[in-house]
Amino acid sequence: MTPFLTAFFSGTAQGAIYALVSLGLVLVWRSAGVVNFAQMGQAMFTTYIASQLIQNNYSYWSAFLIALISGAALGALVDLGLMRPLTSRKNSQLLNSQSMRTTIPVIASLGILGVLKALAGIFWAGEERGFPSPVAPNAIKIGDTSLAITGFDLFVIGTVFLTLVLTTIFFTKTGMGLAMRASALNPEVTRLSGIKVGSVRTLGWAISGIASSLAGLLVTPRTNLSPNTLDLLLIIGFTAAVVGGLSSLAGSVLGGFILGYVISFVNVYSAPENVFIAILAFLLLALFLRPQGILGSKEVRSV
Amino acid sequence: MLAITNLVTQFASIKALDSISFQAKPGLITTVIGANGAGKSTLLRTISGLERPSSGSITWFDEELTHKSVEAIVRSGISQVPEGHAVISQLSVAENIELGGLFRKRIARGDLTIATKEVYELFPILHERRNEPAGSLSGGERQMLAISRALVSRPKLLLLDEPSLGLAPLIAAQIISIINELCRSTGLTVLLVEQNANTALAVADHGILLALGKVVADLPAKEMAADSSLRAAYLGY
Repeated sequence: MTPFLTAFFSGTAQGAIYALVSLGLVLVWRSAGVVNFAQMGQAMFTTYIASQLIQNNYSYWSAFLIALISGAALGALVDLGLMRPLTSRKNSQLLNSQSMRTTIPVIASLGILGVLKALAGIFWAGEERGFPSPVAPNAIKIGDTSLAITGFDLFVIGTVFLTLVLTTIFFTKTGMGLAMRASALNPEVTRLSGIKVGSVRTLGWAISGIASSLAGLLVTPRTNLSPNTLDLLLIIGFTAAVVGGLSSLAGSVLGGFILGYVISFVNVYSAPENVFIAILAFLLLALFLRPQGILGSKEVRSV
Repeated sequence: MLAITNLVTQFASIKALDSISFQAKPGLITTVIGANGAGKSTLLRTISGLERPSSGSITWFDEELTHKSVEAIVRSGISQVPEGHAVISQLSVAENIELGGLFRKRIARGDLTIATKEVYELFPILHERRNEPAGSLSGGERQMLAISRALVSRPKLLLLDEPSLGLAPLIAAQIISIINELCRSTGLTVLLVEQNANTALAVADHGILLALGKVVADLPAKEMAADSSLRAAYLGY
């Protein structure tokens, strides 16, 4: 196995997970205009739920499914319980300025992250524990050479691919998908078309919750589960989203894979301690060359 | 019938609408004219629920609209074509039209197909360009698209906010005449807000003249058009 192929395979598997995190961030950004820093907290929490169920002798797959449903519920709850009341107060002096209106939900999301970490500490004592994978993490062999890719990696890539296909179909082929795109682009015209923009937004939070919950389930077999394990994933996912263009779903996925390769090649050809510098350098480079992101579009202005 | 009674909408301490009352009769075109800042757009935004009135009432036949949500008002059959050819430029022409009928998709799928076909017949250029992003359309085409988006919801009352603004006179006249025909042939009730008083009064049945948030004249369109003192005092020509 050449180092190049090793880096390529591991980059693909890692990139698939970053793509999922990035997708979750972009979904909320596009439907609600909020960068959700609590996202990986939600993922951590639902993965703990799955872990608890498996400990109580539920099968992996039923725990998997319940974790995804909890992810959707948690996402919707964050919107209904916090974001909507926070932003709908018309008479608040504070909310009259546009900058505060966009900042407050972001600060609130950091608050939720803190609360979820504290709750995980209370319920599960914040212990670091392993999380099972449904597929044996053995290297795939072709003849006698074992590839730098495991059955679990293939499972991750397959699941992420399926998610991306389903999300794309949802957004481009269904009425609800059209309503979500329209709500994000122009809430006023969308409301004037008779669409309940608030409910559509809640749905965006729920779908994003599922995507992040899935990312949590797919990454923890490799990293172990603790209240803080997924923090790094948020940073990488956020970088991927910015690199890809925050407003583009396809771009966010592409950004995820690119980040996967950057990290994996630096790991193989340089040293693991250089990964962070590489991420930062790559982000800066991307922002200099294409500030709107790889697939992001520049603001269209009519003249 | 649309009945507006003692309607007040204020921003901080400024009354954009200062106790306005008038009625728009079904199946006719009522035009609201007035200079910039007279409160015309605020009036339409308040009817659609985008602005909340501080007092007064808006009723459509027996239905009280005053405190309904924007979506509920649209679902009651009142659609607005907002100012500035409001379409979603990143979506395709077909998607913009689909958006307007989306809320009826489950209850009236068949009629939605017919309504879509009708707007394409009304504006064939939109059918030609249906797969292009709405942002690539000309100003006039964008206005046609904004009107189509409102029409596929099968409104009973159509609110138009300065449809001729920023358009070449020929295109503006074409759009106004299409609205006129639509009203005459389908019985659609139209509330047309215009700064261009001549164009609007030429097609309208009734005219409401607004100045600084108050109704200063409520007359049949022909009489209003003939009253040169009103024009000189409030519209400046």
